Formats: sequence, structure tokens, C-alpha cells
Amino acid sequence: MVVGMKDAAKLVSISMIAGCAVFVCTLFLNYNMDIASMKDEVTTEVGMAMYQAQVLTGKVTALVSGGCLAVTSVIMLLFYVKNYIDTHGRELGILKALGYSGLKIAKHFWVFGLSVFAGCVLGYTLAFLYMPSFYKLQNTDHLFPEIEARFHPLLAFLLIGAPAMAFSVLAIIYACLRLKCPVLDLLKEKYVYKIKVSKRATKDIPFLKNLAGSTVRERKTLAFFTAFSAFCFSAMTQMSMSMKDLSSETMAVMMITIGLLLAFITLFLSLSSVVKGNTKTIAMMRIFGYKYSDCFKAVLGGYRPFSYMGFVIGTVYQYTLLKIAVEVVFADVDNIPEYHFDLKMCAVTVVLFVLTYEMVMYGYAQRIKRLPIKSVMLE
Amino acid sequence: MIIISDVVKSYGNAGNKNQVLRGISLRIADGDFVVILGASGSGKSTLLNVISGLEPPDKGSVVYGTSDITKLSDEKLTQFRKDNIGFIFQQYYLLPNMTVEKNVRMGADLIGNREYRKMINAVGLADKAGKYPSELSGGEQQRVSVARALAKKPKALFLDEPIGALDEQTGRQVLDYICGLHKEAGFTMVMVTHNQNIAEMANTVVKMNSGKVSEVYTNKTRKNAYEIGW
Repeated sequence: MVVGMKDAAKLVSISMIAGCAVFVCTLFLNYNMDIASMKDEVTTEVGMAMYQAQVLTGKVTALVSGGCLAVTSVIMLLFYVKNYIDTHGRELGILKALGYSGLKIAKHFWVFGLSVFAGCVLGYTLAFLYMPSFYKLQNTDHLFPEIEARFHPLLAFLLIGAPAMAFSVLAIIYACLRLKCPVLDLLKEKYVYKIKVSKRATKDIPFLKNLAGSTVRERKTLAFFTAFSAFCFSAMTQMSMSMKDLSSETMAVMMITIGLLLAFITLFLSLSSVVKGNTKTIAMMRIFGYKYSDCFKAVLGGYRPFSYMGFVIGTVYQYTLLKIAVEVVFADVDNIPEYHFDLKMCAVTVVLFVLTYEMVMYGYAQRIKRLPIKSVMLE
Repeated sequence: MIIISDVVKSYGNAGNKNQVLRGISLRIADGDFVVILGASGSGKSTLLNVISGLEPPDKGSVVYGTSDITKLSDEKLTQFRKDNIGFIFQQYYLLPNMTVEKNVRMGADLIGNREYRKMINAVGLADKAGKYPSELSGGEQQRVSVARALAKKPKALFLDEPIGALDEQTGRQVLDYICGLHKEAGFTMVMVTHNQNIAEMANTVVKMNSGKVSEVYTNKTRKNAYEIGW
């Protein structure tokens, strides 16, 4: 059959994102379930305030981080399914022509759920290994009795089994919908470029500018990923710096690791897909005599504004989230330091971001340089 | 004048080397219409790629006027292609997410040609300028690629089996457009084909066999696209 385990293994980015989501959710939700069992033992007022603040923090963190990462994983999964069908249109078209129904072919896409399963198992295991230290961290002031990490089968199912099944079903449904098209369209890979006559198409715009715009319009999901990548970089880096003062260094390290991991995975995924999807365009441009820098600007340049926009949103997001956490959630808890927007830290993050982003872009520019122009004629 | 001297090209590694061009030497006069004729695997497309600067030969030289393009750096070769060369391929290779007009601008913008619409009119696609490639027939797509190649006003046009994917009627029509524009603009035209009949339209015919030039001759009388057999 066309879709196999090998293809599922290529979804390593989804595994990593799902892993991060499950890691965060397991830590906070498992902790919430464990402290709930000893709520009656908290006698002091400060302890109770801390208890309520921690439970709320756990819920918010799991909801925001888990939700955000889950949405990203879903978008990524849909992107992969679409991309798979787009690039294997001929094989899938032949199967349909032979008499396989769309659903019969789509059923094989369940294997994509395995990547989520692998990530969830990894995230859950890592969270359990880290849990003793995390529990100690949460109770540094000894406001609660000693808490031991316990295994909650329902939570394990909800964080491992359920997402894997949900993603498998989602992959099948989405593949089925995408395969609901005439066999000839699949064979000719016609569906790849849907005709949308935009107002811009009729305007007198220079070729390179037009190409940059249409490259982004053709792959809006990748624009989202590029923005999301910058968002992760900005939000998690700045938040982790503040976490050093507000919480602990361990939390800061955890946050920056997850943030950077997500940022780089999504950025590499989107830029690689853009370059791969435009190989023929780049080759043709080179054949016609366009310079590498023109090809680079036309193909990747359009994503830059999204990246910087993602950075700004990330900065606003982390500031708002921490402000709410400090002034609302932990309002009744003593010894919580005041939180103000750190302009210096923001400036450092901007510089780091610009340097990193432009270095990655430079790497991809080199990759474009290495694309053999003859490749277009070998097909 | 394009002077090709003792060009050798091989593919594969030392143990499994396939010599595709075995010492080709040719002279192509400015404004000439040359057809390179040969069976599949004779090396004609590789020769076209080497002459047009798409890939370097292992040995030999390709001289345009006084400039040997085999000695040029990648950057200079790109500039050379920009200034001098146009391409038309069997598979058209149009940008599918761009309209006819935008595809033609790909060539025109390179030299700042603001009169690219004339080229669209010249290939009879004025009414389809806003259409996307998938909305066009094979013949129309090839005409777009002709307009795109000529919109950059090349000094030499290279065509690799330009009508290989077209039916007879469309093929004749496309050839007629190309030859008409060749007469009008006077660029050098080198076309690779396996179709012996098309050779009757050319001024010079280069026959290739197993990586070597087996025969070069000049047609005394040239036929047009509607006079040749198919």
C-alpha cells in the first residue's frame, strides 16, 4: 500500500510537538491530581492560597500550552496529509482508477497517528522521570505535606491513547475528504493548484514581487508555521528569563528548551517545505538567468514579515500571560516578586532572534544554491 | 557565431561511466536555424544543454563570439544566460500558480521589457492572458513558453523537443509561431528533435548517433510547418 510506517516516521516534528505538549500537561495535571488528594491536610491560609494558585496555574498551563501545541500538531498533521496526497497524487490516482474507494485508501493514513503515539509516550515518560524534582520545586516553601508522584491510568489514557486515536481518525477523515476528487485530477496532480483569480493577478506587479506573494498565498499553512516558530522563540525565551525570578531556574530551562525546540522544528519544517515545493520554479528561474539572490527573495522572502509578526505577538503574549499570573492568579500569595516588562531582555531577544533567523535563512539560501538546475529537466 | 570544439561529456562514476558526447565539434552561424536530429539516447539533449550553458562539458569548449562559456564562473554563466539565452522545453515548465501574463513577465522582467504583451499577442494568446496554465491546452501552454522565452529577447533560442507532447495540428501551429518569430527577430535557433520531418524546416541539420555527429548538411529548400510530413 502507498502509506506505510516509513511515512509515519517522517512526521518526527509532530512527535516532538506532541511530546512537548504531553510533557507539560502530565507534569501539571498529575501534580494537580496528587495535591487534590491532600487538600484537607492544608491547614494554613497561606498554604490554601498557594494550593489554589497552583491548581489554577496547572489548569491554565495545561490548557494554554497543551491546547496551543495540540492545535499546532493538528495543523501540522493536516499539512502532512495534504502534502502526502499532493506529492503522491499519481500513485493514489492509480489506486482509485483500479477501483479502490477513497475511504479504503484513506484508512491507511491511520499510521500517521503512530507518530503522535510515539511522541506522547516519550513526553509522558520524560515527565514521569522529571516529576520528583518538579514536585519538590512546587513545594519549596514546604506549605504542603510531602507529595509523591502517583500513576493515574485515566490521565495516561487521556494523554497517550486518546490523542493517538484522535489523530489517526482525523488523518483518515481528512485524507478521505482530500481524496474525494476525480481520478484524473489526482493523476494529473491538478488539485495542487486551485485557481483563485485574485485582484493581484490582474495588477501590474513585477514578476519577482508577484512570485513572492503567490508563494505565500499557495502555502498559507507554512506562513502560519513561520509565525508560530517566531512566536515560540519570542514568548518562551522571554518568559523563561522572567521565570528565573518568578519561579525557578529549572522551570526556565524547561521552558526555553521546549520553546526553542518548537521554534526550530516548525521553522525548519516550513522553510524546507517551501524550498522543496519550489524546486522547479527555482530551477526555471536559474535557467532563465535569475540570480540566486532573486530566487531566494522570491521563494523565501515572503515569509519574513510573518516571522517578525510572530515575534511581536509572542512578546505581547508572554507579557500578558505573566502579568495575569502574577497579578491575578498569585495575587494572594506572599513573596511573589513584581513583574514588569523587561525592555532590555526584549532587546536582547530581538537581536538573538534576528541573528538566528537570518542565519537559518542564509543556510537555506545556500541550499537553494546547491539545487541542480538540470533537475527540472530530468522529470 | 557559436563554436563548439571537441566536447566530451560522460555520466556515472569511474566503474560505470557512460560517455554521452564523444568529441563533438560544430559551428553555428548567427541567426541560423539548426536542427539537431537523433534517436533517443544519441546525446542530442545533452549537447543542447552543454551548448546553452546548462551543464559543463568534461572536456572541450563552447565559444560565443570571443567568450568561452565553459570557463565562466556560475555567477557569470547565469549572467550570460540572462543576456543571451532563451529556452523552450517539451514539458513547458510554466509556473502553475501564475497567469499567462505573469509567466511571460518571468522572461520580460529580466531585461526590463515592458512590451511583453506584444509577445503574448504574437503567439495568439491575447484573450488568455489572465488564465492559469491548467486552464490551457497543451498547445497553448507551449505557446506561453515560447512567449516567455522570447520576451527576454534572447540572442540564441534553444528548444528541446518543443512539440514532443503535442498533437499534429497543435504541433504545426506552435512550429509556425516559432519560425515566424525567428524570421522576425533573427535570433539563432537550435532545436533538438527526433522527428526527421521537422529537419526539413531548418537551415542546417546536424545528425547525431551514439554521442557523435554523423552528418551535417544544409537544406537547399526549406519547408514551412504546414508543408512538412508528420
